Amino acid sequence: MRYAEPQTVEEGVALLASTEHARCLAGGASLVAMMHAGHAAPAMLVSLHRIQELSAITETPEGLWVGAMVRHRTVAADTRLRGAMRVVRSAAEQLAHPAIRNMATVGGSVGLADPNTEIPVALVAASAQVEVAGPSGRRLVPVESLFVDRFQTSLGRDELITRIFIPRGPEGAVGHHLRFSRVSGDYPTVSISLVLAMEGATCRQARVAVGCCGPVPLHVAAADQRLVGTPLGEQDIAEAGQLLARAASPVDDVRGSAEYRRLLIPRLLGRAVSLAREPAHG
Amino acid sequence: MADKIPLSLTINGTTHTLAVPPERTLLDVLREDLRATGTRRGCDQGSCGACMVLVDGEPVFSCLSLALPLRDRAITTIEGVEQGNALHPVQQALVQHGAVQCGFCMSGIVITAKALLDRNPHPTVEEVRQALGSNVCRCSGYAKVVEAIASVGGRP
Repeated sequence: MRYAEPQTVEEGVALLASTEHARCLAGGASLVAMMHAGHAAPAMLVSLHRIQELSAITETPEGLWVGAMVRHRTVAADTRLRGAMRVVRSAAEQLAHPAIRNMATVGGSVGLADPNTEIPVALVAASAQVEVAGPSGRRLVPVESLFVDRFQTSLGRDELITRIFIPRGPEGAVGHHLRFSRVSGDYPTVSISLVLAMEGATCRQARVAVGCCGPVPLHVAAADQRLVGTPLGEQDIAEAGQLLARAASPVDDVRGSAEYRRLLIPRLLGRAVSLAREPAHG
Repeated sequence: MADKIPLSLTINGTTHTLAVPPERTLLDVLREDLRATGTRRGCDQGSCGACMVLVDGEPVFSCLSLALPLRDRAITTIEGVEQGNALHPVQQALVQHGAVQCGFCMSGIVITAKALLDRNPHPTVEEVRQALGSNVCRCSGYAKVVEAIASVGGRP
């Protein structure tokens, strides 16, 4: 195995382009575990830890740019992630356990595209965009179109994730992430990320994403629309939840059967909506 | 066999000069190259916390930390926790509370507790439980461990 520590994004891209089966090393929390288990054997590791721009967080009037190498621990503590953006902070707070949050990075979570972890789901609910650098420069991709399958992204082999844009969202919007797991720290059985904007008692905008229920975070526009224009009553949530449950393609595993996961979706959606709407939420 | 790359690592204040292949973890370096076996190998998957060390004061899994990116970082292992020849207050409290059992998980727990107390000298029981979320004791003897750590800060 070869190893490199580029200092710039461009050097990193050139290294990826020059080697078949190269992998970017971010925090290592997943990649090194996969290497130990024999699930990954990269020909080259391109460590991103010396590329300074990847660790920056920048606030603009439209939202927050979070560098790919920013760790979940930092995201969980960043109070600028409020309102709709709070969904991402909330997901980072609940992700795995403290030592993983000290190591794992936002870019690593996106690049890994594990549909069972928190950050991809939260970023879909937040309508985040991913900045990707490649040989012909940088492009901005909606996070939803980056995830194409379980552990698969639309990234080219010579591309790397530089930063993620989390938009501020509509005025007055709130975001929340809720996970249900057998034990704290384990992967969730089902997770729900949502962003809501109310106008008085009526929901003006809604965006819901579900984790652990398919190869990529589940987002169903019809379910969002079922909530919009309603007071988010029991019936509204139950029907939106049913739309999501019908579109879900969960698997049976040790954390729950597919049927159980489908049953959980509407119930967790209701709880997530209540939590997001709590006045103290912030 | 991959080529070895020169590396110097600062562990418990001492700088060690080595040459390691890229896939070598800090845990491998500690246990096999430096024969510092206080840091335990448990799951090798970042699930059990037996291999916990501090990097710049924060608990991380040495089994998931490749050695090469750790140049220029301050690493603390269980061997660096004692103060002179005296046990660290966390270690004393664990002994006093009878919270050591088989001891396999203890290196990692002491390291995690030290990081917590360095950052938050008076943690609540709930904060101790949260901080220990990355450490698994297969004997499941958490009650006395939590009690002992919380007692160090005076909020049992």
